[in-house]
Amino acid sequence: MIKVFTDGLSFALPLLIMAVGAIYSEKSGVTNLAVEGFQGFGAFIGALVAVMLMPLLPEGSQVPIYAALLFAAVGGGVYACLHALLCINFKANQVISGVVVNILAVALTTFYTSAVNAKLSGTASNKFILGVSNRYTIPGLSKIPWIGGLFQKMYPFEWIIIVLVIFFWYLMYKTRFGMRMRACGENPNALDAAGGNVVKTRWIAVIISGALSGIGGMCYAYSISANYSPSIYMGFGYLAIAAMIFGNWQIPSTALVCLIFGFARAGGQQLCIAMKLSSNYTDLFNMLPYVLTLLLLIFFSKRNHPPQAAGQAWDSSKR
Amino acid sequence: MEDYIVEFRHITKCFPGIIANSDVSFGIKEGEVFALLGENGAGKSTLMSILFGMYQPDAGEMYVKGQKVKFHSANDATAMNIGMVHQHFKLVDNYTIAENIVLGMEPMTRRFGIFPSVDMDKANKEIADLSREYGLEVNPTDLIQDVPVSVRQRVEILKMLYRKAEIMIFDEPTAVLTPSEIDFLLKIIDGMRAAGKTIILITHKIEEIKQIADRCAILCRGKLVDVLNVQDASAQEMANMMVGREVDLVTHKDPAHIGKEVLNVSHLTVENEHHFPLVKDASFSIHSGEIFAIAGVSGNGQTQISDAITGLLPIASGTVTLNGKDITNASIRERAKAGISYIPEDRQSTGVVMDFTLAENLALRRYRKEPYSRHNILNFDKIRENADSLIEKYDIRSGQGGKSIVRSMSGGNQQKAIVGREIEEHTDLIIFVQPTRGLDIGAISNIHSQILKERERGAAILLISLELSEVMQLADTIGVIFGGELLKIAPADSLTTNEVGQYMMGVREG
Repeated sequence: MIKVFTDGLSFALPLLIMAVGAIYSEKSGVTNLAVEGFQGFGAFIGALVAVMLMPLLPEGSQVPIYAALLFAAVGGGVYACLHALLCINFKANQVISGVVVNILAVALTTFYTSAVNAKLSGTASNKFILGVSNRYTIPGLSKIPWIGGLFQKMYPFEWIIIVLVIFFWYLMYKTRFGMRMRACGENPNALDAAGGNVVKTRWIAVIISGALSGIGGMCYAYSISANYSPSIYMGFGYLAIAAMIFGNWQIPSTALVCLIFGFARAGGQQLCIAMKLSSNYTDLFNMLPYVLTLLLLIFFSKRNHPPQAAGQAWDSSKR
Repeated sequence: MEDYIVEFRHITKCFPGIIANSDVSFGIKEGEVFALLGENGAGKSTLMSILFGMYQPDAGEMYVKGQKVKFHSANDATAMNIGMVHQHFKLVDNYTIAENIVLGMEPMTRRFGIFPSVDMDKANKEIADLSREYGLEVNPTDLIQDVPVSVRQRVEILKMLYRKAEIMIFDEPTAVLTPSEIDFLLKIIDGMRAAGKTIILITHKIEEIKQIADRCAILCRGKLVDVLNVQDASAQEMANMMVGREVDLVTHKDPAHIGKEVLNVSHLTVENEHHFPLVKDASFSIHSGEIFAIAGVSGNGQTQISDAITGLLPIASGTVTLNGKDITNASIRERAKAGISYIPEDRQSTGVVMDFTLAENLALRRYRKEPYSRHNILNFDKIRENADSLIEKYDIRSGQGGKSIVRSMSGGNQQKAIVGREIEEHTDLIIFVQPTRGLDIGAISNIHSQILKERERGAAILLISLELSEVMQLADTIGVIFGGELLKIAPADSLTTNEVGQYMMGVREG
């Protein structure tokens, strides 16, 4: 059971931070199908920084992980500018822009990973070997009933994500920026007439979206795959979007959905092991979150209230 | 030189294909109610959007409180204490009233002394106080999506007051209100004038100007016609200046030439999805050359009658016969072919395709026929020719002629396009639902004369209108609907306005 909880959490939290990123973009009125591309590109930049740092630091140092997370956020944020530019300034179709941004991310990162590897090691591998982050248990805290599990065998980035999610929940619901950003996604004309800056607000939201997605991607690289390779584009970005939709664009309910996905996945893997099935079946069980998504979307998508203005370019001359 | 609080000097503003304002100069005095009168598309809203900083003029200067100003955004205008209530309210539906009002000027606090946060408690209290002070009672914590239009308008007014506006612009404030709400609003405006605010009222309704305004500027096709003292001018004078020609405020109607029966509706019942009857056992017939008007208060089943005849709604029981042919179960296209034209109530969702061009919209009734298409291939030359001739004939004004996207056109011109398209089919039955809603007097008199012309031609006309005056002016026969029942059907000249009004309230004959 503990294994299901820790594994589920370490899958759910990176998913959640990506979903929060997607929520920021959509709440500001920019449809975001580009989470997949943002997380891949952000993780690429983070991994690049990590592989360059690793030879300079002693074996087993955890510093590259934190540097990678920081630069993954920077990389994701910078890459998100492309989506922002296309959607906000050039008023492109936001769905198409998202898809283009995703395809471009796969192409660019695959190419540059090989190119950088050729320079660094002489072999044109498409992987940056990163290793898996250490897990930590905090003595004392981990013994508290109920919440003790949150301090047991955790990747350090999981705590970082929890703090970030709380921070971005506060930013969205309690602050001036958050209030204006949500108005921007419902009725940008209202914000414009009230003296707010629609273009600036959306830009900031999309960049936040990219940065958070980048962090999410980096966490997967350091946990599930132990390296950075094109297999980072496994569809977790789309799963984050599904979590956002199922969570009705609200951070707390989206968090719940991500946890369900995480536990479903970890539970499936444990079930596979308990049933003594060959490891070939793990892939089949890994499908659980997606099947769950499909089913949940069928039942819940009707009651959802997406941001009213998401998907529409805002034109100040249209009244 | 008089002391003006706002002064326009030679303002010119162009949009692609349209000159919205051309060399407009006038001044507004402090503490007056100043009206801007003009037809739809005369440039009133554009001029006020310039004053509010949402557009920048191409040429000319603006002075506010004696100071030359150049506004780059609504913020600059707000900083000069200018506020505006837009025609289409700029509110966030899922925000509370208080959140909408403070948006952009949020009061801040620090939670636990550290984290900056919007102080909604303070906002709610301030807004409750403000609304009491001006007699605009609202509940600050209600969601906008849950309150009616009149309350939303109060929220917009409170938004201006919260921003300490001294100069308040109202863009067509009465278009969405019921008569009693209009009276209430005019009282509020009067109260704000007494409190020393300067009010600018954009409207095309002359009677409101007569009621409330001190002075009035008249715009026609982007140009300033004149600035009048409202007391010294007659309504007829103002109407003529606004339209740019003599308008008849009274419609001239020739006696009817009643011909054969065209439409027969017998025991018609229409139900909603829960099998609740919206139209109950309605029977009437319309003859060639006759205008049959259905009068009634909104929501009593009028639109369901028209939708049942045109086939948009299924008929629960009863029959509809057109020229002796039973069309009760015919498809919409079969009915249209059999000779029905329809000017629907909701022009933007049922009447036109908003993001198609004007030319395409004008061909909607014809595109399947030769020469507009052959073997399913559209002939755009013919579609364009068709559009050009209808634009000319029905005086449809738009930025780029047939190439204009319908969404970019004013409501009045969209309606002219629909009326033109439907009339040009020269069908035996034409159904007009609320044909003049939201239109200015020039457009109204234009559409009324079109309706009468079709009557002369011998069409049977079903007119459904919420405007009793329109019904009384045009109808040959009046049917009054109440609660889905046709309470009274009688020749128009046998009924007085008062009697029709009584039936509309559900009073039955003794």
